[in-house]
Amino acid sequence: MTLTPELHPDQLLIGDFLSDLRARLAPMTLAEREDILREIAAHIHDSMELNGLPAATVIARLGTPQQLAADYRDGALVREARYSVSPMLLLRATLRIASRGFTGAVVFFCGLVGYLTGISFIIAALVKPFFPGRTGVFVVHHHLYRIGVQASAPPVPVHEVAGYTFIPVSLAVGCAAVLVTTFAIRRFLSIASKWQDKLANGGTSWKSIHHSAA
Amino acid sequence: MAIKRFPAPEADQPDRWEAQLRKGALEMAALASLWRGRLYGLEIIRFLEAQSRLVLAEGTIYPILNRLRTEALLTSEWVEADAGHPRKYYSLTDAGRERLRLMAAAWMDFSSGLTQLLEPVLESEEVIQ
Repeated sequence: MTLTPELHPDQLLIGDFLSDLRARLAPMTLAEREDILREIAAHIHDSMELNGLPAATVIARLGTPQQLAADYRDGALVREARYSVSPMLLLRATLRIASRGFTGAVVFFCGLVGYLTGISFIIAALVKPFFPGRTGVFVVHHHLYRIGVQASAPPVPVHEVAGYTFIPVSLAVGCAAVLVTTFAIRRFLSIASKWQDKLANGGTSWKSIHHSAA
Repeated sequence: MAIKRFPAPEADQPDRWEAQLRKGALEMAALASLWRGRLYGLEIIRFLEAQSRLVLAEGTIYPILNRLRTEALLTSEWVEADAGHPRKYYSLTDAGRERLRLMAAAWMDFSSGLTQLLEPVLESEEVIQ
């Protein structure tokens, strides 16, 4: 950024605030972000002009860019994720809730384990055609030894029993794990946000009012 | 509901509770400020300051308006103004009006019940001390 000598200190202050906010709103779409920045910039100018306040006061009353951006993103992330099937988005939204409570942390951990399990099964199914001897369900003396891909061919009494049926079964198990995890997280997010709404509206569930009014 | 006095209460708990309460009420207040027609952000803030003592960091209102808009309770439009820059005006949608009606009814019900419940608490304050 180049600084011209005639740039007023207020303009610098406002510019810093807005660029900090812009950086913190980065996960949003460009259109949404610019709309927010335009509105906040208009607020700063109007508030200075109409209330005759210095830029520093107006900016201080807005709160920190960090808090403001967190307030914007909180609503957006959880709302988006409730209808999403993207593991990254779902885990990010859960992580956001996890930072505020124990239940969220447990759900995040379970979600992570669920996705990793699902992905492992899918990878194992895809690897089977290339390393048939080292992939599958391994049994020793009628006891389960291991499931998955081995780094090297296992020692002799251990043998693979699934054969090529391992591919569809492992694919199905993997996809099921991913799907179950996805829907479990979405269910949790939708319950969590309803619970937040309840809290925010003084303990009243609007749904129940709707039903009793209807 | 049992109300207990813990030996070492966290100093910030009542403040946090009050902040939550205000924040929750703010959503309804923002909708209510638009009942008579469209306003832009700063007008909503001024209206709330004049009508109620919901004094908050001014920044909290904007994310709430944004969320209410995505929930289709509000619509927004940019309008050119004499100020030299456009302003973003909000107005209630039909769904927003309906929601606000339900909120207002529930709030009245809730607060009159609570007022009754809390009356003896405020009256007997000195006696217990």
